[in-house]
Amino acid sequence: MTRLTDLPPAQAKRLAELECPEFEARPWVTGPALSQRRVAIVSSAGLVVRGEDPFRGRDADYRVIPAETRPDELLISHISINFDRTGFQEDWSVVFPLDRLRELAGEGAIGSVAQTHYSFMGATDPVQMEPHARELAGRLKRDAVDAVILPPV
Amino acid sequence: MSALAHYLEEEGIPTVAISLIRPQTENTKPPRALWVPFELGRPFGPPSDPEFQKRVIMAALRLLERETGPVIIEDFPDDDPRAQPDPAWRPPSTRVAMAAGAADSPALCLEAEILELRGAHQRWVAQHRRTTVGLSGLPIGECARYVADWLRGKAPPSPREGFSAPLILRFAVDDVKAYCLEAAAAGTAKPSSRQLGDWFWNQAAAGAAMHALRAALQASDDERLKLIVSNFMVPATRVPAT
Repeated sequence: MTRLTDLPPAQAKRLAELECPEFEARPWVTGPALSQRRVAIVSSAGLVVRGEDPFRGRDADYRVIPAETRPDELLISHISINFDRTGFQEDWSVVFPLDRLRELAGEGAIGSVAQTHYSFMGATDPVQMEPHARELAGRLKRDAVDAVILPPV
Repeated sequence: MSALAHYLEEEGIPTVAISLIRPQTENTKPPRALWVPFELGRPFGPPSDPEFQKRVIMAALRLLERETGPVIIEDFPDDDPRAQPDPAWRPPSTRVAMAAGAADSPALCLEAEILELRGAHQRWVAQHRRTTVGLSGLPIGECARYVADWLRGKAPPSPREGFSAPLILRFAVDDVKAYCLEAAAAGTAKPSSRQLGDWFWNQAAAGAAMHALRAALQASDDERLKLIVSNFMVPATRVPAT
């Protein structure tokens, strides 16, 4: 339903015209077949494990979500209120599909699921996130991750 | 968040982004993205539909096996079936909600409604084995009291170390919303987000309290508080036209 024509005109205009960083480089990394890849989720939904520090305003760092995290332990602390949260309330997989990745690994469609997943808060200026994202790449490599899926909200 | 795709891929990690707002992705040009025609907040589509969700994930992950690129932006073809309203759904009928329009104390109505929704919320938790209430760290009754005290003009201090009063107000409001919307969705009907939002913002005492709080605190001298109540309490689509 997020065809921009379905949104109120003011919101659609704001979202479509949101200033995005321009990137001159066109990075492109290939890898083995999907059935051999290790997949991690790096969300920008402002996800936080219950009891840990929620995102405050536009924090630029990320939160760690261990693979053992249960559905009743994950919360959204995104600054924006202009997106649906009732889907996530009913089923965390709408935002954070860890259970689905496990099923896909069990079926052999992907190789394995990462030991740790992560979340940023997507309304933050990407320039502020950059050093944290580059540091995160090192952690992902140490977990042998060679496929990252990046869901927003 | 296509910028993250650039940073991670530049560091040597293959990425695929889910895109909800196609023009933003077209501007940012990540290596690979799957645009999905779903509502904001639902990047993998319908809740409680594992097969559909899996199709979205696989459509995205398969882009990692493409040999030519960048930039790849593909469209997922199917709409979210849960975006449709469920005519069988009925909003919770609380006495306070019916009286809220006439009442002159939104604070009192808010607290009463939270009490009245307790049974429905317990049914929700039994049904789904989880709740997303918890950002403020306060029990729900204290969340309602904290929000209500602001409505009574008290400017209560933050009850949680390390969190400013405006931030706790924001999280308490989030918790009240989550509690009410979970309670409203308890049961076998599958309401759309719009049905739930229409109830919360147009009929529920909690929604009325948030409209009242926004109106009252927008005149605050505290810039942070003003920012939070103006922009981070009532969704843009639910702010009454002035």
